[in-house]
Amino acid sequence: MDDYGDEGGGMDDYGEEYDAPEEEVVEEEDADGDAERMEGIDEATNGVQIMQGQAGGERTRITTRYMTKYERARILGTRALQISMNAPVMVQLDGETDPLEIAMKELREKKVPFTVRRFLPDGSFEDWGVDELIFDDRDRRATS
Amino acid sequence: MFFQLTLEKEIMLHPRNFGPKMREVLKASLKQQVEGTCDGRHGYIVIVTRIHDTNPGVIVEGTGWAKFQVKYECIVFRPFKGEILECVVKEVTKFGFFAEAGPQQIFVSEYMIPSDYQFSSVDEACYISIDGMERIRKDSEVRLKVMGTCIENTEIKCIGSIKEDYLGLISD
Repeated sequence: MDDYGDEGGGMDDYGEEYDAPEEEVVEEEDADGDAERMEGIDEATNGVQIMQGQAGGERTRITTRYMTKYERARILGTRALQISMNAPVMVQLDGETDPLEIAMKELREKKVPFTVRRFLPDGSFEDWGVDELIFDDRDRRATS
Repeated sequence: MFFQLTLEKEIMLHPRNFGPKMREVLKASLKQQVEGTCDGRHGYIVIVTRIHDTNPGVIVEGTGWAKFQVKYECIVFRPFKGEILECVVKEVTKFGFFAEAGPQQIFVSEYMIPSDYQFSSVDEACYISIDGMERIRKDSEVRLKVMGTCIENTEIKCIGSIKEDYLGLISD
């Protein structure tokens, strides 16, 4: 992982929460393709906007609204693991049996019941529902 | 003595329990893990009376399990030195007898039994008073005083005495 710092820097250590009772934080997803991803994080380190505790709808979150590839990997991996351990599936299945495939379908339909907790360098954190994060819909898994 | 306490416990939940009924499973699993246990700090947790609403759980890395910090109110029982307890005799030996006050077993040594009680193993092991009127045997109820407690991490040991005024047999 030589490119480990280029988009996950400062928030590579994050946790996930299960089944957060989200108060519908509606983020306008005006996919600003060229958004500087590090911008928000730098602001946080300057102590501009420190958030402690649960990030509610009120406070402004400053990390990127894009799901990083590390987050995507961990969400898919954890969710697939849970599905493989008999966790209830949140989407309608048609014939899929592979946990990872089901997890990817859930992610595509924004039904993954997780909240990503991004820790900032000062120890505070931001919670982002997986359904709020924008990600590349492309199936990045290497197909054989 | 009984106390009502608010305690906290970390509960791990298997992914198969996720879903709409998760909170119920969580509560059941808390009760199952906590009720009847003993720790040296609080004593015996007799019953969980209320479970506070829990925060969202946190996923444990690598296992997929969810971890919840659950706050609950419960009734605890803890014996104290000098406390008077009413107990049921469970076992009588020539060295003394074992009595139980709920979850707590209390040993009463023969030195802590008034000297006018004699051990007898005829028919059944019991302590008989000199006039033959009173018998302390299995399932008798006695009132005793806790003389000492030995508190360990996961258990409490007690010794008791009935060698004092107003202590001793209550009913057969």
